[in-house]
Amino acid sequence: MGLGAYVAVSAALFGLGIVTIISRRNIIYILMGIEMILNAANINFVAFNRFGLTEAGSLEGKMFAVFTIILAAAEAAVALAIVLNVFHLFDSIKPSEADLLRE
Amino acid sequence: MNDYIEALGYLAPELALTALAMVILVWDLLKKGRDSSHLGYATVAGMAVIAWMLLGQWDSLGDSGRHPETILGMVVIDRFGTFFKLFTVGSLAVVALYVLFDKRERKHGIGEYYFLLVGAAIGIFFMVSTNNLLLLMLGLELLSLASYSLAGFHKGDKRSAEAALKYIVFGGLSAGVMLYGISLLYGLTGTIDLNAMGTGSEGVGLAAQFATSPVPVAVAVVLVLAGFAYKVSVVPFHFWTPDVYQGAPTPVTTFLAVASKAAGFAVLLRFIGALFMVEGVQETVMAYSERIGLLLAILAAVTMTLGNLSALRQTNLKRMLAYSSIAHAGYVMIGLAAMTTQGFSAAVFYLAAYYFMNLGAFGFLLYFEGAAGSEDVASLKGLGWRYPVVSIAMVVFLISLTGLPPTVGFYGKLVLFYAGVDAGLAWLVVVAGLNSALSLFYYFRIVKSLFLAQADDKSGDGEPGLGGLIAVLSVATIVVGLFSGPLQRWSDSGTESLGLPPLEESK
Repeated sequence: MGLGAYVAVSAALFGLGIVTIISRRNIIYILMGIEMILNAANINFVAFNRFGLTEAGSLEGKMFAVFTIILAAAEAAVALAIVLNVFHLFDSIKPSEADLLRE
Repeated sequence: MNDYIEALGYLAPELALTALAMVILVWDLLKKGRDSSHLGYATVAGMAVIAWMLLGQWDSLGDSGRHPETILGMVVIDRFGTFFKLFTVGSLAVVALYVLFDKRERKHGIGEYYFLLVGAAIGIFFMVSTNNLLLLMLGLELLSLASYSLAGFHKGDKRSAEAALKYIVFGGLSAGVMLYGISLLYGLTGTIDLNAMGTGSEGVGLAAQFATSPVPVAVAVVLVLAGFAYKVSVVPFHFWTPDVYQGAPTPVTTFLAVASKAAGFAVLLRFIGALFMVEGVQETVMAYSERIGLLLAILAAVTMTLGNLSALRQTNLKRMLAYSSIAHAGYVMIGLAAMTTQGFSAAVFYLAAYYFMNLGAFGFLLYFEGAAGSEDVASLKGLGWRYPVVSIAMVVFLISLTGLPPTVGFYGKLVLFYAGVDAGLAWLVVVAGLNSALSLFYYFRIVKSLFLAQADDKSGDGEPGLGGLIAVLSVATIVVGLFSGPLQRWSDSGTESLGLPPLEESK
């Protein structure tokens, strides 16, 4: 399998992530959609590192992927804390029901 | 080993900031009682020390304005970064004082408030001083994660919770999209260093790639720009701004509108400068740079127009200022769209002008929330006569935001428009001029409400400390406007250290 296959999978994952975020009304699914986008980027980083234009022995792409995993974890932690607080106050985790701030 | 120790010397401001964050966290655990104002004063004192270190760093950088080597292969020490670090330190000190001086906010001002603010500043410090996309992304996320938590800091308040929710959903999405764009850029050029990406080793720079495969390059660049556009709230990625600014605690809104936005612009300037303004690139692939310039110019025009038109309809002062900050992002974009060193310097200068007037305007908002217990423009009625000093200060900020002399906002707009016309963007400057006139309508509504109506006797007392700080900022708005030379030289010197073509002695 060459680079093309990896990039195709990652593009598909990216697209699915965007579709999930747009179509789902539940905040947990939206957060999952964001995770999918981050993982799509990860596949790209690792695949480009292996097959792409990088110099032999370079670890930049893999390093980037490792840090992205950490970022995703940190973001999920903060996001869930915020969601929990919203759930306490609104009794719902649908973003559409938290609508005090609008025109 | 010695390399590392030497490198730590250059990272002294960052290390000091990190140490301050740790001290705040531990001190907060050890303290007795609920009062944590000493942590706020420690934050302000820490900012003064770090500002002093940064000024030393500024002077130590020679004529080129930057350190010849990249520290640890990642951190770039140049005057551009130092300028924005000073900016951050300055706004953080004012925000911390806002929290300290306002008694409603002080109630919430437990140690974590200051800890998160300092944490956000650490993120800004790293993101403005690197050409490495990995470190840039980490800095950006550190800033974002701290900002999400700060936006939801009033835990029992529904609006604050909702603001945090909206912020993290849109923020997470934009960070993901940007990361995906970065992964594509990495694939196209084989490097995550912006300079290497721009110039290209062995002919695989972004410009050369654009010549052979324009579509992937365009997709990657647009995805990354979307992430930046979100951070600086440029249309069409602005829709979170009014909700988050309105729901977040006012000092946090101030931080987001001033420090976070300026940091986003700093990174955007570095990104555009490194990828699209490389000497030689313009000749090889003209279309490549020109199209980005046109895209930025259109975004600038749409952003300022939409921001001002939406602000016209607002009755809530906080929301109005949020839209006004979107409009101002549009003005700054003129400097970016010009794609010249002069334009970049004008954008940097305008951001510095924006520092004084917007910190002041949000400070007034905080003062007025305390005094009148409401955020509506209508309930400002007649308060101008009751609190003359603060209200006159607000008038100064509004004059500056509109861009009228003798304030710093006037000179900021002047240099921006000048750079725009010089770069052949006369149409954009005309749009911006019309927009400034438009903004006068809603800014004037605030003045009218303050001074041209009778007060009803419901308002309480203002906070004297806060009032004093606002007055100082308004004096600075005028003084810096009258003597803008040093600030102009600083922004020129900072911009030149990006390695762009040097400025000509024109004016």
